[in-house]
Amino acid sequence: MNRRSFLRGTAGAGLALGAGLPSLGGRLAALGAAPNLSHVEARYYVKLPDREIECRLCPRLCRPGDKERGYCGVRENIGGTYYTLVYGKVCSLNVDPIEKKPFFHVLPGTSALSLATAGCNVNCKFCQNWEISQVRPEQVESSDLSPEAAASQAAEAGCPSIAYTYTEPTVFFEYMYDTAVRAKRRGVRNVVVTAGHINPEPLADLLSVVDAVKVDLKGFSKEFYAEYVRGDLKPVLETIRAVARSKVWLEIVVLVIPTLNDRIDLIRDMSRWIRSEAGDHVPVHFTRFQPMYLIKNLPPTPVSTLEAARQVALDEGLRFVYVGNVPGHEGENTYCPSCGSVVVARVGYSIGAIRLKKGKCEKCGTPIPGIWA
Amino acid sequence: MAGARVVIVKSSTVWTPSGDPDPAVVSRMLGRGFALLAEGTEAAAAAALFRPDDRVGIKVNAIGGRAISTRPEVALALAGWLARNGLMEKNLFIWDRTTRELRDAGYTPSAARNGVKVFGTDADGVGYGPDLVSHLGVGSLFSKIQTEFATASISLAILKDHGLAGVTAGMKNYFGAIHNPNKYHDFHCNPFVAEVFDAPPVKARHRLSILDALVVQFHKGPSYHARWANKYGGLVFSLDPVAADTIGWTLIERLRAAAGLPTLGEEGRAPEYLATAEKMGLGRADPAAIETVEEVVA
Repeated sequence: MNRRSFLRGTAGAGLALGAGLPSLGGRLAALGAAPNLSHVEARYYVKLPDREIECRLCPRLCRPGDKERGYCGVRENIGGTYYTLVYGKVCSLNVDPIEKKPFFHVLPGTSALSLATAGCNVNCKFCQNWEISQVRPEQVESSDLSPEAAASQAAEAGCPSIAYTYTEPTVFFEYMYDTAVRAKRRGVRNVVVTAGHINPEPLADLLSVVDAVKVDLKGFSKEFYAEYVRGDLKPVLETIRAVARSKVWLEIVVLVIPTLNDRIDLIRDMSRWIRSEAGDHVPVHFTRFQPMYLIKNLPPTPVSTLEAARQVALDEGLRFVYVGNVPGHEGENTYCPSCGSVVVARVGYSIGAIRLKKGKCEKCGTPIPGIWA
Repeated sequence: MAGARVVIVKSSTVWTPSGDPDPAVVSRMLGRGFALLAEGTEAAAAAALFRPDDRVGIKVNAIGGRAISTRPEVALALAGWLARNGLMEKNLFIWDRTTRELRDAGYTPSAARNGVKVFGTDADGVGYGPDLVSHLGVGSLFSKIQTEFATASISLAILKDHGLAGVTAGMKNYFGAIHNPNKYHDFHCNPFVAEVFDAPPVKARHRLSILDALVVQFHKGPSYHARWANKYGGLVFSLDPVAADTIGWTLIERLRAAAGLPTLGEEGRAPEYLATAEKMGLGRADPAAIETVEEVVA
């Protein structure tokens, strides 16, 4: 299955306006064909009077009425019971290098069975995967893949991890959680790529079954989150804090967008905050923006901007700071913070060399934090 | 025709003993509504609004099931009225986002080549246009029914209270034309209702709003709750989309007051999108600036 499934119907196969009118003759059988949706009761919601519900999965606390969906578009109130429509309905499934997520301190050089369902609980104007994240599940092709089958496929494909990624895993929480439990039983690790817009209770439950979380910290101002993410910064920071306090490995990605979130003073504030609240060992990736979705009027991020951001973060005491989406850049490598030697050499998603012995720098023996085996 | 003019046509005989609308009465209500709107004949109204070769999309709101959606009797009567007044049946589309929802609301899907068509955007070979329309704060794909099939559009909406927007009526009905309406319910759907309407695929084709107010859900909407649904027995017409919704709001407030409910403003959910729409030049949101004509049809 392609990573970016086509929106259903956009191909418009067999139907053209031609002389002015569409020809729908002979297509009655297709009218109203049932979409491939699940009807599994959602977790983390409360029932209210008059068939209303309140979703407690994410900070939006949506209260959709009967027959209505939440902001994510993948959960529906049907007669006063809330259902996830995407349980086991996978719209994207690939075997990816784990560096693509990116995780740089988790099993480098290995592959992750990477999967997603439709939907997202924010709406970033720069979304790189909007064709599957910013749609309702019936608008993309999806295939059935049970949690057990996903765990089994990962093991059979020789993937030591499953990555919940591409869209926003929070919105397919139930499926992610159940899959993670089964994967764990098989010795397959679970890694999550998220915007961090999740409430503390489901997050705590998630952290009990996964091994690593990468949080997209999309900016460091409330205003940026409101305008360009359609979300709130505060719960994202809470998520980072919670992951950092847990035993789960944490990495942070910051997509740097020219003129929108690239102010060096904010990068500095962000770096200080990360060091203070999450720790100086947390890898931070400053990645390059490409014009996409609703922001096509800005150029790709200059490499010099990424380098400046990286330098500021290093100056603020973060020990593992990377430049992303610039294949071949020296900022892709992991350096030993003690002796400065390259302990993991990378070019794009490829690993050049790993110079670690039992998680320590081969040269000087300094422990390098991460999940290495 | 005057811009900020709203016509309300009511009938006490619209309900049959079985509880369904009488198509013949609905048809008379529609004819009278158009005539009052045009301040002339029905034919004059049709001629002023449409070209004979227009392909007219009749956008209904079918999300509420049989109980509280745009009634099929109204949509079909409207298609009939258009056909009697110079438009070709084969050029009329009754539509919403999914055929399943249309069916659940009591419609019979149809793709008849020479007849009135009834189907959703999800029908095979329809779908959404391939290009994102980025307009003000909105970024959406629009249904091909709106962008390609139709040359003219009627918003034939159900009039309902809405827990977030305050009111859902003719303007918000076009949320059903975009692929991601769930993304535009923040901040009481404001300014998104106005911005979706202002987007070229809608604004360029919209000709008039007709609100199905045969049954009005005046509280706890948009879902159906019999306790707060009133058999108002009316249809609301306007060329001004903002004025139509504004008068719809006043009808809801009237029903709420009669039921002893607080106003939408008192509940902190007045339909603020109306003022936004007025500021954007889409119509009049001040009831005092709207000429309202009411008539009862036997």
